Amino acid sequence: MNRNSQVGISLSEAISKVAADMREITVKVSGSNGRHGSGTVWRQGLIVTNAHVANSEVHDVEFATGLRAPGWLLARDGELDLAALAVSAPFGPIAAIRSADGLRAGEMVLALGNPFDGQGSITTGIVHCSVSKSPRLLADIRLAPGYSGGPLAETSGAVIGINSMIVESLGCAITSDAVEEFLSRFYLSEAA
Amino acid sequence: MPSTLAEFSQQLADTVEKAGRSVVSVLEGGRTGVSGTVWREGIGVAVDHTIQGLDEVTVILPSGQETKASVTGRDPATDIALLRLPTETLAAALADDSTARPGEIVLSVGRRGTEGLAATYGLISAIGGPWRTSSGGRVDRWFRLDLNPFPGFSGGPIINASCEVLGIANSGPGRSAGVIPAGTVNRVVDQLLKHGRTVRGYIGIGVQPVAFPEDAWQKLGISGGRGLLIIAIAPGSAASEAGLMLGDVIAAIDGKTLRTGASLQSILDGENIGESVPLDVVRGGQLLKLAVTVREKPVS
Repeated sequence: MNRNSQVGISLSEAISKVAADMREITVKVSGSNGRHGSGTVWRQGLIVTNAHVANSEVHDVEFATGLRAPGWLLARDGELDLAALAVSAPFGPIAAIRSADGLRAGEMVLALGNPFDGQGSITTGIVHCSVSKSPRLLADIRLAPGYSGGPLAETSGAVIGINSMIVESLGCAITSDAVEEFLSRFYLSEAA
Repeated sequence: MPSTLAEFSQQLADTVEKAGRSVVSVLEGGRTGVSGTVWREGIGVAVDHTIQGLDEVTVILPSGQETKASVTGRDPATDIALLRLPTETLAAALADDSTARPGEIVLSVGRRGTEGLAATYGLISAIGGPWRTSSGGRVDRWFRLDLNPFPGFSGGPIINASCEVLGIANSGPGRSAGVIPAGTVNRVVDQLLKHGRTVRGYIGIGVQPVAFPEDAWQKLGISGGRGLLIIAIAPGSAASEAGLMLGDVIAAIDGKTLRTGASLQSILDGENIGESVPLDVVRGGQLLKLAVTVREKPVS
């Protein structure tokens, strides 16, 4: 048995498994102007997405299960490109959150989203450089329009950021730490 | 037990970190700084065009220490510049680039000033034979990479999965990632250390590619339809001593017919200096056999 092919197969199986888990916490967010992006189920009833995706008062939020619910805008920070939506939907899986602090250049990351009409597309890459106090994380991933607002996760599926834009051909995400800070600024932290 | 994916991820990060011990940042290069690779003890390699015209640059060493490094040699033809670095820097482990295979995983590693290491990940898409840069430099192997170039990656190493340097990253055509292979860098570094510059051959002619009419090359018994028309000869040069004249058309070099105007470059590599090269020349409708001895190109 060729050892190399085994490694290749177990890697792709592992990626599919993480992608399946990530799909459950990723939603499709459509604004009133017909544009759509992605969102991340940060916790029960709370969707985090990009400010450039959440551009109206109420949005159509579609879960991976096909369930649809209105998502009401709770908070928006255009500069940071973050927004929070409230949804009332039955309890489902939520994101495991991990700090982006301490991630090393080269660590593998996965991004999930809904580019074009694709549902739950995955792209993989590596952390481009470690985060130092910046609210943004660069990763060598191929983002496309529609990935915006979706989760960027490490290899266990824990969310380390929200995909936001493409900077000089690299994917740029808002770190989970910056998201938590944003939520607490609007009194949306879990403790509050 | 960590999952396969987590293990793979940590191995990638370990590889970047290990390679990064031989990667420096060159602050003056490019728009926002470029990278350099510690090639041998006390010797760094950077991409020449990114630090053009500078005799001294500011580097950030892997230790985080900032220091000045003098540019001790440069070869614009292959786009390589040498930097003198403190001897405590760790030289990179080099790969034998002739054994690389398409499909291998590669990483491009750079250093962004004091911010630290930066990397992108990809594959070798294709490997080709030797080629020449637009300025005539001979590059031993051509690599196409499926890898995102990033600002400041030039001069940093392209490493394989064993953390060996396959070559130096350089921007390729159309925002692609190019590589100066390790073997080529070694050859240029050796020459720069020995002579302080790279030596090029010189025969002292200016040429213009021309096409022979079909009946002419059939009558002369030469197999190719192309030639190089001599439009300038430097006085006292090898060409002038060999008896070449203005208006001569070179039809073959070293027995080989000419496919492109660049064919002349093949006899002008440093290794050919001192060698006598046979030329087939058409003059006044007759085919002549001459020989020219390649000399070292004078420093301009």
